[in-house]
Amino acid sequence: MNWNIVLAATIKWVFMVLVFGLGVAGILTWVERKMSAVIQDRVGPNRASILGFRMLGLFHPLADAIKAFTKEDFVPDGANRVLFFLAPLIALVPGMLAFAVLPFGPGDNLVIANMDSGIIALLAITSFGIYGATLGGWSSNNAFAMLGSLRAAAQMISYEVSMGLNLVGMFMVFGTLSFSQIVYAQGHLLGGWLPEWGIVVQPLAFILFMAAALAENKRAPFDLPEGESEIIGYNVEYSSMRFATFFLSEFFEVVLIAAIVTVLFLGGWQIPWLDPKGIAGGWIRVLQVGAFVVKTLFVIWVMMLARWTLPRFRYDQVMKLGWKIILPLSLLNILVTAIVLAML
Amino acid sequence: MVKVKVIERPVPTVSTEIYLKEVLKGMGVSAKHFFQGITTQKNLVTTQYPEEKRPYPKRFRGHHRLMKREDGSARCVACYMCATACPSHCITIEAGEREEPYIQKYPRKFEIDYLKCVFCGFCVDACPQDAIRMDSDKHRIPAYTRQDEMAGNIDLLKLGGLSQARQGGKWS
Amino acid sequence: MPDTEEKKLVTMKIDGQEITVPEGMNVIDAAEQIGIYIPRFCYHPALSVAGNCRMCLVETNQARKPVPACREGAREGLEVTTNSDRIKEARKDVLEFILLDHPVDCPICDKAGECMLQEQYSKFSLRPSSLSMPKVHKPKVKVMGPTVLYDAERCINCTRCVRFMAEIAKDPVLTQVHRGDHAYIDLAPDKVLNSPYSMNVVDLCPVGALTSRDFRFKARVWFLESTDTVCSECSRGCNIRVDTYKGEIKRIVPRENPDVNGMFMCDHGRLAYHEYENDRLFTVAGTRTGDMNYTQAVNRISLQLLQMIKSGMPPVVILSPFMTNEDAWVAIFSLKVLANVNVFAIGGNAQGEGDDILIREDKNPNTRGLMTILKHFGIQPVSVKEAIEQADNGMIVFGTRHAWIDEIAKKIGTLDFGVILSAKATPATTKAAFALPVPSPYETTGTWTNEFGITQRVQAVLQPQQEARPIWQIVQDMHRGFARMQTFTRVEEITDILMDKGLIALDDLTNTGDDITVEAGK
Ligand code: SF4
Ligand code: SF4
Ligand code: SF4
Ligand code: SF4
Ligand code: FES
Repeated sequence: MNWNIVLAATIKWVFMVLVFGLGVAGILTWVERKMSAVIQDRVGPNRASILGFRMLGLFHPLADAIKAFTKEDFVPDGANRVLFFLAPLIALVPGMLAFAVLPFGPGDNLVIANMDSGIIALLAITSFGIYGATLGGWSSNNAFAMLGSLRAAAQMISYEVSMGLNLVGMFMVFGTLSFSQIVYAQGHLLGGWLPEWGIVVQPLAFILFMAAALAENKRAPFDLPEGESEIIGYNVEYSSMRFATFFLSEFFEVVLIAAIVTVLFLGGWQIPWLDPKGIAGGWIRVLQVGAFVVKTLFVIWVMMLARWTLPRFRYDQVMKLGWKIILPLSLLNILVTAIVLAML
Repeated sequence: MVKVKVIERPVPTVSTEIYLKEVLKGMGVSAKHFFQGITTQKNLVTTQYPEEKRPYPKRFRGHHRLMKREDGSARCVACYMCATACPSHCITIEAGEREEPYIQKYPRKFEIDYLKCVFCGFCVDACPQDAIRMDSDKHRIPAYTRQDEMAGNIDLLKLGGLSQARQGGKWS
Repeated sequence: MPDTEEKKLVTMKIDGQEITVPEGMNVIDAAEQIGIYIPRFCYHPALSVAGNCRMCLVETNQARKPVPACREGAREGLEVTTNSDRIKEARKDVLEFILLDHPVDCPICDKAGECMLQEQYSKFSLRPSSLSMPKVHKPKVKVMGPTVLYDAERCINCTRCVRFMAEIAKDPVLTQVHRGDHAYIDLAPDKVLNSPYSMNVVDLCPVGALTSRDFRFKARVWFLESTDTVCSECSRGCNIRVDTYKGEIKRIVPRENPDVNGMFMCDHGRLAYHEYENDRLFTVAGTRTGDMNYTQAVNRISLQLLQMIKSGMPPVVILSPFMTNEDAWVAIFSLKVLANVNVFAIGGNAQGEGDDILIREDKNPNTRGLMTILKHFGIQPVSVKEAIEQADNGMIVFGTRHAWIDEIAKKIGTLDFGVILSAKATPATTKAAFALPVPSPYETTGTWTNEFGITQRVQAVLQPQQEARPIWQIVQDMHRGFARMQTFTRVEEITDILMDKGLIALDDLTNTGDDITVEAGK
């Protein structure tokens, strides 16, 4: 075994997943509250302070963490303890693994595992996330949690199909399954001016993928598994750090999905119309990674905006949307793409 | 004539049925508020409570107070009108007798049980003497014991002031 | 009290309705028979007609001007109108006149809530005053006597009080002084209002001019809860209504019962509830025999009683004429038939003064009922003095109020078996071997038979407190170990037995008369 590779992978993992992924997810707990407040013309959290510094309420995630660590870790009577303890981890870990295949920048160094079958691997890994919600709800020995987990299972399986099918169009256009190569391919300018981003060549797929991804993520308007107003959802029996883990995994998935969307549809680290030769040495890398981060954050912002704008769907509407609209449209998209490609 | 604003039921069109345009419209509204909020902050309506206080409305019904006569005694004549009107039966009065022949009666004990009071203001309306009022501009502060929730004559008189009303009516 | 000489019947019309009444009956009463209420102040069915308030004005077909209904006798062909516009206007005028100098200090007036002036003003007038100069001032808070205060400003000069004192109390100390708007009621020179019936003027006074010193500022009348019962203070057994507020008796007023007390009662009866306000006995006191609760006490009494009977040395029993017939029946039956007691005496208050109005010499409520039941068991009661002399074996004393209480206390202190059932803590209860708490007369349910043989139901106004139990229940508990003891759970069961045996007659129970305080609300 080549220890250098392991070491390099570890270092990359720490930076990409722990620092970027978890860091952003942590801050997102604050952003979510602050953003919802501002959208609703409120001020939002601003009270937690250290030595009188309030920092716009940025200490609230910190206070939450302390609270989560010090609260009672409650396990309900009759719960399946093993699964009950494992479920939050099962929810969090697949997201962390999925980051391995996403390129943060050009070359092999800015991606943990530059796999040729990156997209397939990603789909395979993220499918695991569903077990977290389902097992968590099932093992709680609580009717509401059970309902939540059933909803989660049905909803995520339904949308996973469309999610995969939407990517098929991408393979067909770019002719590869590797994320890195897809990003390289998006560097072309169509007709000399229009960047050949996924969103340009596959606009319908972008919209459908976004919708399906939101549904996978279990956030409003697809937050039925949680359904705070009716059933509280699969995590109703969870408390303290275990609840925080579920909470964090949700935000972590937000970051993950934003990163995937960036890579596939928004050109990843590519900066269009920029001539890389004009910039000296390493700085171009910094700029490109920066571009990736900025694009990712923008997608997160859009997802948040959707979350605080749209009301929750009814359950039958969710199913109808998934199976009767998004799925046929995805198939249509593949068909059209195939026809267009054949004609070109 | 009551003015009725008739709101037409929106007729579904193709563009609303596709939903996408409506989603973007809604997100546009959210985005507008977002940018207004983080730039000008003028549209934010939150009151930062302990530092910033909103003035009480003119007719705010707060802590009761018993009004005083010129000599500092309570105007109340223990007529029990307030206790009779009170829907939550929270006023306890015990009448005492005083020398002076035109007033004769005073409340030896006047107690309001704030655990029961619903701040309806009926007592104020019922009082024939303008003796009890709720315009003290003060909230009733919750207390830790049942006993502390009873406000007696002294607490209520402390908030009291002089009344303009002439006691006993115009020609007495 | 049926009239002996038959009056001639006449037919007249009131508001178009025909009615046949005895000739000469006044129109107020006649109208009441067909449910028409004519407002009035000075008229009172028990008093002579004065006709000075003019509130009762009606129109008739035999006079051009309105006439006072209280003065108008029924006669053939009379047609009376009580609801014409003219009469309605006249009532408003009269009320405005009466209220001209009235202070309207209802907030501090004890009559408010049952004041005829308030009620009739709100029912018949509601016209605002047009007075534009200061009101006339007259004496306020004037002490009329030991029980009554007078406020001349509130007085409407109806002279009901004057007439009552002269005609019924036969002590004419009240009179009207001054003239015009300065007129008011005052005491005759060198007199005080201290007749034993003086407090009836408080009820009679249609307004708050005469008020009770006892009830002064104690409660607003609309908070009072009322129970109908019978007065315990003499053997007439006046019908009373006891008003309580927050579980305390605040005042006692008479109820109308033509067979017993008419419409009035004496002051002593009104104030008698104070007797049971202090020094009450609520728990079993047995200082000589150590602390115990009710069950322990009755069990020990029961054991001792059994032993005494076996050894043929029964105790003596001193009954109380305050006991109800039910108490007496259970007590005498148990002690005579089961425990073979032979010596019974009747205690109670000593004879006092009576008069020919209401007050009787016998100051106990149920002497006659007790005698009837004793006779039923063939017992000839001995005097209390003799009973005390024969009490060496032991003694059971019922009741609180005994003229011989000092002698009883002295004797009971020397006995091993000295039982006293008392509502109050007295020297006798502290000295007795066993003292069991019983309800006061206001906490008792049962029947009393008055001096004239009328049996009336007594209602508990308040519930017995703590360990106090009705006497029949205690006696029953004391005889648990005895054979042939019939047990009761409700006092009505005993009443039924007494009626079956013909000891009392309750079916003509005249205990439902109206009270006289509020007339206008009818
Ligand atoms: S405010 Fe209402 S509830 Fe409170 S004391 Fe007055 S009448 Fe009673
Ligand atoms: S109504 Fe007014 S005067 Fe009467 S008891 Fe209440 S506070 Fe006193
Ligand atoms: S007598 Fe009647 S009207 Fe006059 S003050 Fe008293 S309650 Fe009021
Ligand atoms: S004191 Fe009362 S009863 Fe006597 S005259 Fe005056 S109002 Fe009438
Ligand atoms: S009641 Fe007839 S005049 Fe007073």
